[in-house]
Amino acid sequence: MSTTKTYEPSISRTEGRPLAGGEREYMIDVRTQDMEVNMGPQHPATHGVMRVLVRADGELITGAQPHLGYLHRCAEKIGESVEWLQYLPYTDRYDYLAAMNNNLGYSMAVEKLMGIEIPRRAMMLRTLCAELNRIGSHLIAIGTYGLDIGAFTPFLYMFREREWMMALFEKICGARLTYSYIRIGGVFNDAPPGWLSEVEAFCDTFEVKWREYYDLLIQNHIFVKRTADIGVITREMALDFGLTGPMLRGSAIDWDLRRDTPYELYDEICKDKAFEIPLASGEKGTLGDCWDRAWVRAMEMMESIKIVRWCLDKIEPGPVIGDIPKTLRIPPGEAYVGIENPRGELGHYVVSDGGKIAVRCRVRGPSFVNLAVLEELMPGALLADTIAIIGSTDIVVGETDR
Amino acid sequence: MNFQGIYDRIRSIQAPGVTGMDEPREPNPQDKKDKGRSGDPYVLVDPQRLPEFLECLRDDPSLKFELMADLTATDPSKEDGYLWINVQLLSLVRKHRLAVKCLLPKENAVMPSSVSVHRGAQWAERECSEMYGITFEGHPDPRNILLPEDWIGHPLRKDYEFPEEYHGISCK
Repeated sequence: MSTTKTYEPSISRTEGRPLAGGEREYMIDVRTQDMEVNMGPQHPATHGVMRVLVRADGELITGAQPHLGYLHRCAEKIGESVEWLQYLPYTDRYDYLAAMNNNLGYSMAVEKLMGIEIPRRAMMLRTLCAELNRIGSHLIAIGTYGLDIGAFTPFLYMFREREWMMALFEKICGARLTYSYIRIGGVFNDAPPGWLSEVEAFCDTFEVKWREYYDLLIQNHIFVKRTADIGVITREMALDFGLTGPMLRGSAIDWDLRRDTPYELYDEICKDKAFEIPLASGEKGTLGDCWDRAWVRAMEMMESIKIVRWCLDKIEPGPVIGDIPKTLRIPPGEAYVGIENPRGELGHYVVSDGGKIAVRCRVRGPSFVNLAVLEELMPGALLADTIAIIGSTDIVVGETDR
Repeated sequence: MNFQGIYDRIRSIQAPGVTGMDEPREPNPQDKKDKGRSGDPYVLVDPQRLPEFLECLRDDPSLKFELMADLTATDPSKEDGYLWINVQLLSLVRKHRLAVKCLLPKENAVMPSSVSVHRGAQWAERECSEMYGITFEGHPDPRNILLPEDWIGHPLRKDYEFPEEYHGISCK
């Protein structure tokens, strides 16, 4: 380990480790030689090609260092070499589980520089697709989290619902994972006939299924035992590290960009009180533990369903894209737009000098920022909890490395 | 608070290192070369005093910029003698944002690290330093983060030349 920082284990060996229900678990002090364990770069539970160098003293972790960059594809450099519209497909590929949200973030940043209005139906479809994609992304987040710590069945069930969601997206834009559907100035094309009623059918079924998943996984006794009181992020830590999204709300910080800095149609949706922001309460253990973060993601899926239903209720016919030329010349300037991705604040900082190509195209990936807290969370945890902690940060390595 | 309100407050508490601000403006119809500027307003800060500035804004009760959303750099062009350091601040309590920009000379790209104020800056600064060759003084862990340790050059600089090969792998 090249870091010189010395870590103090957060668990005292004599006081024991608190468990849910007020009991304490004691460990026998078996100090051994410090051992370095390489988790990755291909460990299946790291959600991609990532390596965590763990230093362990017996079963107790004394230091952890994430090593990134195995999936670095130079997204920001590409952004400075291709035209504005040509960059859009690359945005799909950093957080490939929430490609619609990435498209939306990039389009909004460019639109802010252009200062153009988006047709209302396009905004409806954008919001609808972004929220559907959020459901799909959270299904994977929770499903693979269960898989990481040994619950195989819920993962398969959740993939069934996600498959349906992907089939819906395939119908509207032709792609299953990398959509490029949300374009600068609107969306690629209108929804095919009958698509909206299929979305409604999805919502009806999903509400029933969600209850099953909630009981099967989130409230499962074994799941709670594996995640409660583990990887506790305090309020101060969350703010210090700049965490966003469910990681922040898992520590009971009431912040959601959709409500607090409204963009697109979220202003109207908030006025109608169509959705709520679920906040963790430390119900099963300590506030800010792994279970709280998983719970926030599960609850957010139902809130997304409410937003989808609001859109289905209010959508009206109309144009879906403005008159956008093939080669865009963006007025000189710089803009930062942050939107609420399933993983947190996805920021795009774009700079134009008036030409056909961006001067700077910065992506602030929420996974990248959220992962940094790992170095702080791991020391003091048990080796077996490593996977539970990594899984609860819900990272997509395509985004940490970009 | 809107940008003007934030800027007035920054001026009235005499936040350290503030050198000015810039706001978007309409193009000048008389002068065809003046295309105006679109996008966000920002505050200009001396890079050598950035950590003090961030600390002041974090602790001020009416600004409360307690979360650093992003820290990055920009190389505007080959000819330009300065790099930009762009910081995006967010206040969860007051629900406002602020963009901060610093101009850092390219010949001597050294500035103090902000990790002591926002620990989230740690990885962002590592990325900045490998991509732009900026040295952050006092950084606790100044290794490369996305690039290999032995990578030559700083890829996001506009004068970067693509390597011919890397460890026998052709880059053509």
